[in-house]
Amino acid sequence: MNAIEAHNLTYRFPKGDPVLNQIDLRVPTGSIYGFLGPNGAGKTTTLRLLLGLLRKQQGEIRVFDQSFSSRTRISLLHRIGSLIEMPSVYSHLSATDNLRIWQKVYQCPEKRVGEVLELVGLAGTGAKKAGKFSLGMKQRLGIAAALLHTPDLLVLDEPTNGLDPSGIIEIRELLKKLNRESGITILISSHLLAEIEKLVTDIGIINKGNMLFEGPLNELKLRRQQAASVAFETSDNQRALNLIREAHPESRVVSDKLLLPALPREAVAAINRKLVEDGIDVFGITTPESDLETIFMHLTK
Amino acid sequence: MNIPFLNTFRSEWLKKKGTAAAWLVVIGGFFIPFIILIGRVYYFDSLAARHTDPNAWVAVFTTCWKQMAILLLPFGVILATSLITQLEFRNNTWKQTHTAPQRLTHLFFAKLLVILIMLLQFFALFNLGVYLVVALPSLAFPSIPYPDAPFPFAMVMKWNATLFLASLPIVALQYLISLQVRNFLVPLGVGIGLFIASLVGMSWQYSYTIPYIYCSGRFLLAEKLAGTVDLNLWAAGYFALFTVAGYVLYIAKKEKG
Repeated sequence: MNAIEAHNLTYRFPKGDPVLNQIDLRVPTGSIYGFLGPNGAGKTTTLRLLLGLLRKQQGEIRVFDQSFSSRTRISLLHRIGSLIEMPSVYSHLSATDNLRIWQKVYQCPEKRVGEVLELVGLAGTGAKKAGKFSLGMKQRLGIAAALLHTPDLLVLDEPTNGLDPSGIIEIRELLKKLNRESGITILISSHLLAEIEKLVTDIGIINKGNMLFEGPLNELKLRRQQAASVAFETSDNQRALNLIREAHPESRVVSDKLLLPALPREAVAAINRKLVEDGIDVFGITTPESDLETIFMHLTK
Repeated sequence: MNIPFLNTFRSEWLKKKGTAAAWLVVIGGFFIPFIILIGRVYYFDSLAARHTDPNAWVAVFTTCWKQMAILLLPFGVILATSLITQLEFRNNTWKQTHTAPQRLTHLFFAKLLVILIMLLQFFALFNLGVYLVVALPSLAFPSIPYPDAPFPFAMVMKWNATLFLASLPIVALQYLISLQVRNFLVPLGVGIGLFIASLVGMSWQYSYTIPYIYCSGRFLLAEKLAGTVDLNLWAAGYFALFTVAGYVLYIAKKEKG
């Protein structure tokens, strides 16, 4: 069963190209779903549509197997905690008063305010106004607000923005714990693959409003292995290609490099030896990072 | 007690804690009475006679209300309504407010109710201030008697009700604009513009159609229009019109954060 299902979601701002182009999204219940894409890919627009902050133009959204509509909005929002883009914080109020605002709406016990402040490490902020918080502290307060009513689904848009490395690790561990111990489904967006892959079980990749990949993280890792390569920089790439083509038919010359699919290091050494023995100088052997960009390129081929 | 509108109202009420608008209510409420008090104490020699005058209360209330209604009340309402409503834009909190499980209708009217209650608070503090203009000198100086004249309770209540009603079109239009426009200067600019228009247009034949004129009009127009135009009715009509328009525009807004 899926906590969120979006089908054929299309959105365009007035006088603009579509920001989202018929995307499908399925967030399995109990998963940590990483929603990955570069800035401007359409992540925030998708999340805003899922939460009803933007009026749906085309497509269907189902949350907990119910269509998200004005009729079901209130009951569904009771089960969702969210943090969209920059944290929403009343700068003239303390962290406690900020949370009391939402406690009154959610009607959760008052003691939850102290509990979630403790959970995100803001219990000691006392009467300090939230406007005087660092960006990281505001982000923590935003996460505390999202967790206040112990939701079944957390929707977090780039929640680690502004956090220092130890803060990022803390939040990551907190989200894992919430998912593991309370079974909360988490939809988290990011533009950093390295950050996401340490946390998520499932992943969706979006670029320029199009969904490029959706599935378990393991499947993406397999694709990344397929996308990995070894690059040789030689004095004569064309002759080098002719020499190894028979043994490695997928090899090709790209720009000024000879590219081969990822190989065991012994095989790389053997190729190097062969090229040198045939009088071709090898200036460098590199394994280009299979970063987000590479994967995008691979996925869009 | 879990009544959804009440929950939303409590949440909205908490948001105004410590804001500039909340301070404006307190400072604005006591400002005119404080100035008048200083003036009366400055002319101390005539104070005892003023307190024994049969119209002691009426005179001080008339002076204070006139100063307040012509200038400070409209301006204060413009500023306070815009400040309170713009809290969400300023703090980037519309998205959190709109993803909390509360009805948009409740939100709209809870925010409006917060502003109206703050306006009532302002009126209460102002009346207390005017009372103190008379009571404090009598307490502080044995030579100044407490007025024998009965406190004109009915008159004070009537003025409060009339001027509260006169403020409502300003509240509703400022609220409408502040809900729609992110830039704080827009509602402020429109408000001040309409307020100045109401002062400039006071002598115009149809000045009673200017929605921001009813506070000052209570003192500058009422006699001229007596028996022909009901300013209360016009104020109530504008309030209803702007509130309905504000509600429709708010509900129909495509982007909610």
